[in-house]
Amino acid sequence: MPSELSYQKMLQECLRGELRIVNAGLPRSQKPLSALLQEEYPHVQCNDSSTHFFKRKELEYLATMISSDEQEALLLPMLIELGENQAEVAIICQTEVEEELISRILNMSVTAKQGRITIYKPQLALLRKMLKTTTQYLFSPKIVA
Amino acid sequence: MPQQLIKVRPTKIELVKLKRRLSLAQRVQKIVKDRLSILTMEFLQTARETVEAEKELLDGLSQAYRALSIAAGYHGYIALEKELIATEADLEIAAGLRNIAGVRVPSFELIGDGKSMRGYNLADTSSWLDHAAQLFEKCLKATVELAELQRVLELLGMEINRTKRITNALEYVVIPSLQATINYLNMKFEERDREEKARLKRVKVLVARR
Repeated sequence: MPSELSYQKMLQECLRGELRIVNAGLPRSQKPLSALLQEEYPHVQCNDSSTHFFKRKELEYLATMISSDEQEALLLPMLIELGENQAEVAIICQTEVEEELISRILNMSVTAKQGRITIYKPQLALLRKMLKTTTQYLFSPKIVA
Repeated sequence: MPQQLIKVRPTKIELVKLKRRLSLAQRVQKIVKDRLSILTMEFLQTARETVEAEKELLDGLSQAYRALSIAAGYHGYIALEKELIATEADLEIAAGLRNIAGVRVPSFELIGDGKSMRGYNLADTSSWLDHAAQLFEKCLKATVELAELQRVLELLGMEINRTKRITNALEYVVIPSLQATINYLNMKFEERDREEKARLKRVKVLVARR
């Protein structure tokens, strides 16, 4: 039977492991849409050395909605940040292209504040239905740290 | 339910350690709960899509087999078999992994539109066969999609189970036992303080008497 101390140690390790795995699948770097469209098998490398594949169908769907200049600016995968408020999530946007895209997909106007577009859970479900491989979840460093 | 106390020495250092452990456990609980809600949302969505894809595939197959039987009736089985025997081709599917909140799930995509696989002679066959082939191509795409969805559903289900166990363990065992131990230690220290005060008062009275 494990002693109380080893049990506690095991528990601590288990908890630390949980913290490690939530953000392990994040991409090392994002790639522009135009570059991904050129690749035979569009993918990005993740922090845990795995690869995250994009569906060409989704990339082509995104490409139809924006101009070629905007395709250069749009970095994929888009990151969806889960913060302290459970009811809403934030999409991290570096340019205005994300704003335009999200507005079109959700069919409502959205505005970015401090580089983040805030949406609610039902809208998130709709967004994820359309963009399964081109979006990824990010657990906010504020709650992980 | 009475919570089991963790066996620790009643010292201030242990109290600090326990408080740190409690804050870590609460932080992990928050993350795990967030993750669970996201996984559940994805699971429900995938389940809905799986049902739709399955229905689509079954409808598609029923239509395709009906079209094939019409084509077979038109050409005759032997002639049709002779035409179709040369059409065997390899399927090309791009298979990779994607990540859903820490769960690695497969991603399949059929490469090409499938028309290159039609190897039969267009001059000797009718549009009935073309129609049947078109319907089967649609079914092929739906099959690949369904394969991906079913595997995703299975993996998400397993991860939800695992995450739920962790959430329950944290919520009903780890955090309550840590809180109970911290409360117990606090009470012990307060009791010690009270004893110390009473002892000092007694000493003061004794000193005053002399």
